Amino acid sequence: MGTVHARSLEPLPMSGPDFGALGEEAELVEVEPEAKQEILENKDVVVQHVHFDGLGRTKDDIIMYEICDVFKAKNLIDVMKKSHEAREKLLRLGIFRQVEVLIDTCQGDDALPNGLDVTFEVTELRRLTGSYNTMVGNNEGSMVLGLKFPNLFGRAEKVTFQFSYGTKETSYGLSFFKPQPGNFERNFSVNLYKVTGQFPWSSLRETDRGVSTEFNFPIWKTNHTLKWEGVWRELGCLARTASFSVREESGHSLKSSLSHAMVIDSRNSSILPRRGALLKINQELAGYTGGDVSFLKEDFEFQLNKQLLWDSVFSASLWGGMLVPIGDKPSSIADRFYLGGPTSVRGFSMYSIGPQSEGDYLGGEAYWAGGLHLYTPLPFRPGRGGFGDLFRTHFFLNAGNLCNLNYGDGPRAHLRKLAEYIRWSYGAGIVLRLGNIARLELNYCFPMGVQSGDRICDGVQFGAGIRFL
Amino acid sequence: MCKALAAEPWPENAALYQQLKDEQILLSDNASSLAVQAFLQMCNLPVRVVCRANAEYMSPSGKVPFIHVGNQVVSELGPIVQFVKAKGHSLSDGLDEVQKAEMKAYMELVNNMLLTAELYLQWCDDVTVEEITHLRYGSPYPWPLNRILSYQKQWEIRRKMKAIGWAGKSLEQVLEDVDQCCQALSQRLGTQPYFFNKQCKGLTFQYRRLVPKIRPTELDALVFGHLFTILTTQLTSDELSEKVKNYSNLIAFCRRIEQQYFEGHDKDSSSSATSRSAKRSLLR
Repeated sequence: MGTVHARSLEPLPMSGPDFGALGEEAELVEVEPEAKQEILENKDVVVQHVHFDGLGRTKDDIIMYEICDVFKAKNLIDVMKKSHEAREKLLRLGIFRQVEVLIDTCQGDDALPNGLDVTFEVTELRRLTGSYNTMVGNNEGSMVLGLKFPNLFGRAEKVTFQFSYGTKETSYGLSFFKPQPGNFERNFSVNLYKVTGQFPWSSLRETDRGVSTEFNFPIWKTNHTLKWEGVWRELGCLARTASFSVREESGHSLKSSLSHAMVIDSRNSSILPRRGALLKINQELAGYTGGDVSFLKEDFEFQLNKQLLWDSVFSASLWGGMLVPIGDKPSSIADRFYLGGPTSVRGFSMYSIGPQSEGDYLGGEAYWAGGLHLYTPLPFRPGRGGFGDLFRTHFFLNAGNLCNLNYGDGPRAHLRKLAEYIRWSYGAGIVLRLGNIARLELNYCFPMGVQSGDRICDGVQFGAGIRFL
Repeated sequence: MCKALAAEPWPENAALYQQLKDEQILLSDNASSLAVQAFLQMCNLPVRVVCRANAEYMSPSGKVPFIHVGNQVVSELGPIVQFVKAKGHSLSDGLDEVQKAEMKAYMELVNNMLLTAELYLQWCDDVTVEEITHLRYGSPYPWPLNRILSYQKQWEIRRKMKAIGWAGKSLEQVLEDVDQCCQALSQRLGTQPYFFNKQCKGLTFQYRRLVPKIRPTELDALVFGHLFTILTTQLTSDELSEKVKNYSNLIAFCRRIEQQYFEGHDKDSSSSATSRSAKRSLLR
């Protein structure tokens, strides 16, 4: 299978830049040496046919877009490269379990002497996949059921349903996703969900039932998301001893908001990147499409990474945000920002910085937080090349402030307010990377600039999460 | 714990929370709130009435009214009476055990009959539900939340009615029950000023003479709250208030308490719950 017949060949060099990129599925070309020797890379070929085996419910037009580049290949190495790229694009659609590529010379009456046939052998995913898990944690057990319908109508639409039934709370989510054929980066999705959350730092319980629709599209190097969301929020006290300020926020509200987010990400990885930068800017306008919550919210996230000598990485990050209530109603505790904790300003307890009432943290309308980090390999590099590479030593300096602004004053007064009472901390610890999704940290922290009312966690602090300052 | 509560005197800024007076509050909640206001007035404890759209959800038990005194939050008349007693104020101290049991029995009667009838009328009588309840209950909220909350509450009340066996009753039967309850109250009241006429220390000037002081009890506050609200609230029909109007001593009772405990605050915005409605019907 997969032999390439050509008139005059030479054994192909096994190490070449294009070959290194191929997966195992791409067939290695076996060559029959014949009389004359010729370098294959310079040989012109024409891709005459592209075959697909194994298509069931997938529609043709969506496949056409992904593989059209293969026809443009001019020589053999190009054909292999473009086929590999097409394979990656087909896998990215999320509708095939596996894709194999076979390159063969053309047979038949209309075959050109340098004609090639490329065959993609695909296995579609089943119509319905399910998963069932049980989760235990925090005095609560729950059963989680997940259902996925990939490639529902043949054009890579996907419907997912997740249902979690617990001893305390129930939550569910239903989502429909559709990419634009030919342009997977442009897609839209509609979600219906109910989530419940418990926030012991504010003695608050929140139940959100909502529907949202979002459009994603890339513009040049940036990724944009436009989203409309309608949420019915129910707030309640988590304990009889909740402060009266939190009790006053109990009840129902309806938030209908439009938001826009822009992301530029040039990092090589989202967990422990070695180089590159990230910029995320998000704005949300609530109240003009219904509902009784009205505000304008802006927040941004910036991160810069640079590799230094001896496998160490220097990283700087800056977060900030502002919430401006529109109209005379004050902002709701569910919309405000929170600061502090192992994923934010380390050395302080979870979300325990800033305005508070009787021990319940109320959040603030404006905040900023920054961090400087130095990541180095573990001392003496144990387990090098294997398990030890997942760990990094970590030295950090974090700072931040959270407060409520008086919007009547000018920007100078705002800056002054954000600059007074800065909380900061420094320390060192170990970071463990979990796959490409999450990270664990164990740090020894020295919190400084502590204001009365903040709750600190000096000494050893453990953190797990996906987004760290 | 009780000693600590008793140690703190009644603060100046005690507040009573209920729903919005003009647009939102329903008959049953208004009655309960007025009962607590009357009780606190009778104990001579100042409290200001604060109206919030989310009062029902702020309350620790889910029912209005609730009072915020110092650091404590207490809801519903029963617990509030206990709370006030722990602070050293009580209206029923002078009663003996038999009378206290009788008072409890009558309070249970009012809660089980009058309050349930009010809830039935508000949530199970289709005409009232359509024309009054649905419009009022969700009025502070935007569409579609106003509808959702209203239907959710209706479902909850109907389920409760089914549990206590009132779901099968017709409106006529409910009004009959109200009539029987009023009859029992009227008979117990008789010609006396209050339900229990235990004489207390001190004299008061009445009918141009100094007479021994007779103080009302929490039962008087509760009955006043419900009857006054029934008499002064405009519903789709007058059937409910007519049942109460049959008993003239009950009307006189309401007027008496209103004059003694609420009229002095006519100019005050805090208890205009009574002043505005009073002008509507009771003084006709």
